Amino acid sequence: MTVEDLLRQPPYSLPQAEKERILLGELNRLHDHHRRHSAEYARVTEILFPRTAAPATLAELPYLPVGLFKERLFSSVPKEKVFKVLQSSGTTGQTPSRITLDHETALLQTQALACIMTHVLGPERLPMLLIESPDVIRDRTQFSARGAGLLGMMNFGRQHCYALDSDLRLRLPEVRDFLARFGKGKFLIFGFTYLVWSAFLEPIQSLGLDLSNGILIHSGGWKKLQEQAVSADQFRAAFREATGLGRIHNFYGMVEQVGSIFLEGDDGNFYPPTFADVIIRDPQTFEELPPGQTGVVEVLSLLPRSYPGHALLTEDLGVVHAIDPLGGNRLGKSFSILGRIPRAELRGCSDVIAAQVN
Amino acid sequence: MLVQSLFPPQGSVALEELKAQVAGGNVNPPFDAGVVEACIELSQRLLRDPIARRYPELLALGFWMRKTELHRLRQQFDLLQRDDRLLVPCGLVFHLPPRNVDTMFVYSWLLSALTGNCNVIRLSPQRSESTAALLRLFSETLAQASPSAKQGTWIVSYGHEEEPTQAFSSICDMRVIWGGDHTVSTIRQIPLSPHAREIVFADRFSLSAIDAASYLDLNESGRSVLARQFFDDSFWFDQMACSSPRLVVWCGKQNHAAGASADFFPRVNDYAVLRQEVQPAQCMHRFLSSSLAILDRPVTNYRRFPALSVLTLSDLEEFDRNHPGGEVFFECRVERLEEITPALRRRDQTLTWFGFGTDELRRLVTALNGRALDRIVPIGQALQFGRFWDGNDLLQSFCRQVFIGAPQPLLPEPS
Repeated sequence: MTVEDLLRQPPYSLPQAEKERILLGELNRLHDHHRRHSAEYARVTEILFPRTAAPATLAELPYLPVGLFKERLFSSVPKEKVFKVLQSSGTTGQTPSRITLDHETALLQTQALACIMTHVLGPERLPMLLIESPDVIRDRTQFSARGAGLLGMMNFGRQHCYALDSDLRLRLPEVRDFLARFGKGKFLIFGFTYLVWSAFLEPIQSLGLDLSNGILIHSGGWKKLQEQAVSADQFRAAFREATGLGRIHNFYGMVEQVGSIFLEGDDGNFYPPTFADVIIRDPQTFEELPPGQTGVVEVLSLLPRSYPGHALLTEDLGVVHAIDPLGGNRLGKSFSILGRIPRAELRGCSDVIAAQVN
Repeated sequence: MLVQSLFPPQGSVALEELKAQVAGGNVNPPFDAGVVEACIELSQRLLRDPIARRYPELLALGFWMRKTELHRLRQQFDLLQRDDRLLVPCGLVFHLPPRNVDTMFVYSWLLSALTGNCNVIRLSPQRSESTAALLRLFSETLAQASPSAKQGTWIVSYGHEEEPTQAFSSICDMRVIWGGDHTVSTIRQIPLSPHAREIVFADRFSLSAIDAASYLDLNESGRSVLARQFFDDSFWFDQMACSSPRLVVWCGKQNHAAGASADFFPRVNDYAVLRQEVQPAQCMHRFLSSSLAILDRPVTNYRRFPALSVLTLSDLEEFDRNHPGGEVFFECRVERLEEITPALRRRDQTLTWFGFGTDELRRLVTALNGRALDRIVPIGQALQFGRFWDGNDLLQSFCRQVFIGAPQPLLPEPS
């Protein structure tokens, strides 16, 4: 079964054992593909994971540190086939990741996102409220991950309404107008977690707007909200109380594996779709950890063909809760992300006066 | 502008006021009894203090400046004095220690204060816990010390502002910059008074050389001791101290080198895991920097342990000295020690070694003829600070040498 076959199936329909069998074959093929077409990938994996036999489990597959994409541009396609270089938005001072895309991989990303989204949204395009300013996608030559994520999601909506202005302030009349027209039926709300909380929920909290027919999809991490001590549960509760909005799905994903997202189920846990998976590794030994134990998250995906990003060790901590959980409507692994690995400061002789000055 | 005066503890002080205080500071005769007394007291406090005892580098500092060592230093200094040449203090020494090697400011201060100088030391506003502990003990000691000791030292703290650095640079007789190339270049833009001198400690690289056959001849406990000493050299400052080894050169036959390496690094790891918590972020940092090294360098083999990684190189040609720290060790093999000579560079500071004779080491220095290496010490002493550092004798560098000429016969008158 190829990735194209998997994309035609419901995203959470494979029991883990069967899924692993399929992924192993496909990821081994992807590894060979990248080894043949990216000299850098071949070089790194050959030294990091010297082995003679083909990997027999997903955990034995070679993987790269996700930070490598901030340092180097990898490509497994000839220059003339590169369709765009996707760049992570990266907060100020951080080096962005850069990802080479060709048409084939870009198409796979779109199809993958559709496969996952139709599962929660249904096959129809829904009226869509974007918790964003139109500015973020105005310049289409500059592809920030945030813009790309937004464009990707816009495919699942119609009658798009931007809820924020250029200064990220709420455009209340437009939101009211949108709700008056579409609020009686199913509609989609999409935005980045922090903006959804601070630029949307906060200003509308006491207005009594009815969002009970909405489905909110959000992503982008909890770091900023954790600083304000807002937990995922509080986030959900606050929305339900203020607006009646109950269908909320957070997702975990990254620019290095666009399209391959891990969407929250009704239980608040993330689930990998059929064409992706997670492995939790011990941060010291890199050995795979059993469910229940916290470790570093490795993400696997069949989508990256134009760059070797199919197996990446992230810098996030996570835990697998269950495999093929009983009673749920999703098969596979259920997991949570517990945030970034806390930074360690290295010591040493080099002073930082100069670094501060420049 | 305001500058923090950490010692004497007087809070925020106007820069002009502080500059005036410092300019009027005490210059003592070399090895003034009050200063020596204060150093001994600080050493004892470092060795006793329950918080300081948590940090091996503070213990090492306390040990290094204990009474007998200070006595030895005094004898060495006396030996330098001659009938026709006297060492006298420079005057005011302005120290800019590195932020991240906490203990450096005390080493720098100690040699300067013992030789009689008045000192002003700049510390960064961001200070680690061990620096805070050290600073506390330092202040407590000096506060109770004799006037000669306490009236000649200022510890100041400010951020990246140039103004205080300018002010102290304009009045000091000697400026000491401990820091990377970048810091040195930045601070060098700030003028000194014309008569003043400067010592700079730029970015350095350090390596180890081990005779493989000698290593294999060691018994079990000998190997463990060496692993522990290597750990001390490398891990105290996360391999970021300039004298910590980042490259291990195995000398000898291929099978000996392979056997020695296969035994040595697991031992270092085992000891490291026992001694300190392995931080997940460091493991990830190491995995990333190893991957980059594989892309950029002639790496033929990679070994990952929880506390360190080892990357085997096919050769040292064009070996890039930039190194991310965090316990990533390069290794390579040569038949004989002298074969490393062509690969060594000015930036190479400390060679820590095991299994060579003094003659062999001296031959290496002679062959290098000043092109590289300032220190050659046994494994275990990489971080042991001393008066000889980066090619200087600090006991003399902090002094002016006054020449006292004897009467000479009259030259014949030109005809």
